[in-house]
Amino acid sequence: MSAALGNAGLLIALVASSVGALATAVAIIGGNRRALRQAPIYAAIIVGGATLAVIAMQWALFARDYSIDFVQRVGSSTTPTLYNVAAMWSALEGSILLWVIVLALFTGGVALRFARRRDDELVAWALVVMYVVMTFFALVSFGPASPFARGATVPVGFDGPGPNPLLQNHILVLFHPPLLYLGYVGFTVPFAFAIAALITGRVGEGWLLETRRWALLSWGFLTIGILLGGWWSYEVLGWSGVWAWDPVENASFLPWLTGTAYIHSVLVQQRRGMLRVWNLSLLVATFALTILGTFLTRSGVINSVHAFAAGEIDGYLLGFFGIVVVISLGLIGWRGDALRAPGRIDSAVSREGAFLANNVVFALFAFIVLLGTVFPLLVEVFQDRQTVVGAPYFDRLSMPIGLILLFLMAVAPVLPWRTASAGTLRDRLFWPAWCGVAALAIAVVVGADRLAPLIAFMLGGFAGGAAGRQLLLATRRQGFRGLVGRANGGMLVHIGVILIAVALAASNSYTHSATLTIGRGERVEWAGHSFEFVGVSTEVTARADVVMADVLLDDSKVYAPAVTTYLQQGMTVPTPSVRTGFTSDVYLTIDGNDPPATNADEVVLRVFVKPMVLWLWIGGAVMAIGTILSALPSRRSRRPTDPTSAPVLETQHG
Amino acid sequence: MFVAVVALLAIGSTRDAGPLNPGDRIDSISRRVACPVCDGESVFESRNPASEAIRAEIRASVYEGTSTDDEILASIASSYGGKVLLVPSSSGFDALIWALPAAGLMIGLVGLWFAFRRWRAEAASLGLPSQDDYNLVDEALQRHRGQRDD
Repeated sequence: MSAALGNAGLLIALVASSVGALATAVAIIGGNRRALRQAPIYAAIIVGGATLAVIAMQWALFARDYSIDFVQRVGSSTTPTLYNVAAMWSALEGSILLWVIVLALFTGGVALRFARRRDDELVAWALVVMYVVMTFFALVSFGPASPFARGATVPVGFDGPGPNPLLQNHILVLFHPPLLYLGYVGFTVPFAFAIAALITGRVGEGWLLETRRWALLSWGFLTIGILLGGWWSYEVLGWSGVWAWDPVENASFLPWLTGTAYIHSVLVQQRRGMLRVWNLSLLVATFALTILGTFLTRSGVINSVHAFAAGEIDGYLLGFFGIVVVISLGLIGWRGDALRAPGRIDSAVSREGAFLANNVVFALFAFIVLLGTVFPLLVEVFQDRQTVVGAPYFDRLSMPIGLILLFLMAVAPVLPWRTASAGTLRDRLFWPAWCGVAALAIAVVVGADRLAPLIAFMLGGFAGGAAGRQLLLATRRQGFRGLVGRANGGMLVHIGVILIAVALAASNSYTHSATLTIGRGERVEWAGHSFEFVGVSTEVTARADVVMADVLLDDSKVYAPAVTTYLQQGMTVPTPSVRTGFTSDVYLTIDGNDPPATNADEVVLRVFVKPMVLWLWIGGAVMAIGTILSALPSRRSRRPTDPTSAPVLETQHG
Repeated sequence: MFVAVVALLAIGSTRDAGPLNPGDRIDSISRRVACPVCDGESVFESRNPASEAIRAEIRASVYEGTSTDDEILASIASSYGGKVLLVPSSSGFDALIWALPAAGLMIGLVGLWFAFRRWRAEAASLGLPSQDDYNLVDEALQRHRGQRDD
């Protein structure tokens, strides 16, 4: 029943999107306005079909419908309800279904938002692009990655294993993947408008303004999705880190990098009409990287080229990636003349000069991450040997890039457009620079050492000062309205980024760890903290056995790092216990391969003392708030003498 | 201000933080070694028994106290093969992973330099604004002020 409904839903979405793409394109080309006005109806049908498929999948998981192969693999009667909801995206087929529903909602959103302008060619072509992308994902979900495929016959009383234990022991698995997908998929909207602008030849700034908020919010979702992934890793994986530079993480970071470059360089185009080809390329890159990232991580190709044929959707994803790149670049080449920049940048020491520098750095960063991620593949192809590229490589190269970006964040906000005099710079950078010195002095006083983190703290203070200065000036002029709008909301986002950068510099540089063997009732002192092993407690449920080592930390509160044995999978998962604080966290784990017995005389405790981790999450929250504020319209009206963008009218009908 | 920055950086970066404690040293070495049987995790992150074995080896070498970090890494690489080292070497084909980013940076900088040179040449060819241009700006400003007063 669920399978039939789910398949029907996916088929409806597939037919509606493919027919919608074709019919709308034909209507535009034939100038059939009546048919054009019907274009959004397909979006409504797509939303309906995708929703039906998701409801069917959720029902199948809830009712443990073991006639479906996917439910046999990730369903279990012992999985708690919330994790059962999240089970949908715990394996490939379900995560493609999540992609389908998110894309359907975005498609519906575009149709609704632009309903009044549905016979505008730009909007219509954008819908065609959305429908084409939707067709691809609906096809993959209906065909090779069907979550509703019939499973083998199972004996009476069969119960599935449930999702991977790592995906059912922290609440964040409910939020991290959907938010990440909202970010990934959201970039389809500006991409669709970019392609529509290229097709119609309306390559002026109109399409940018239409999609500014879509791009910004998608970027915000991607940012928060990535950060929640880091938080999940910290709370669940037990190695006390938030980011390991593994291919899956890099796949989400790549579109973030190009997306971040885009939301900056787009300002130059809006203001000066320049960098058109570059902005289009960044959007194409962002969208294509979400597809490439999914291919790289889902196919197993990164780990070994011999796994190339293992996945069933590899060919589809790689083919779609190729089509996206070829068509987009072809269109950009075709419109080359209309895209030529009508303006010029007068001075490198100007706002637009800083944005250019920012873009070069972000593009380089993306290139490095991509290179490091696919390098093992290149080595295997060209040299037939295996190699790994890990965190130390990425850490080494991302550190100088991070410092350069902090410096740009300090200087760029105070730079005026067009050109800056030395006097203006001196005036405007005076207080931010002193903030940098103060941050450095505080760091030295509290005992920080080593050059790289010290420079990071100094530049963090400098950049924070610059952002704070702008916010102060804006709020002094306009009160709380001064926090709203692109420029000022953006400064709040910068403050969030700076908090994260400083927290990362501190936690990566000054983490201390030790393995302590503590007898029952014994009290051990280490790194300014005391640890007393109180005893072992256990918790037995139908789903899992939990063994907890109760440790009294600093004579104040008992923390209980645990090892959970999931009975269905026979898998043990250690779960850390963390005391979170404003200055540092104390992170406790016990060995998952060797959990203590109930009457154990001693426990082997792994302890990490990590400074400033909390500020990563606070920084993330500030970024989220800043993103929302910058998506709100600001009150400031444009002066007609502001350096304006290109003669848009000339190219609009070109 | 410059003096203050240099002085503070000098104090901070040259202060003796003392030798790394053994736990931190084991961590820093194990971060540079890949778990031989899992995908992309380092020995530091992985909880796999194979990684536990390598960690134990590192721990033993650290407590023995006779080898440097690089010597410990070399001995692990010789017993498990070069593919357990997470930092690619800087010779042969692997050198590309270091050279290409440097080349990318150079291309970016040279590209920017050319772009600015072209823009500067274009700007120079335009000459100074004419009286008509000034009038246009004045007119626009006037209109803007008028709107604001409304």
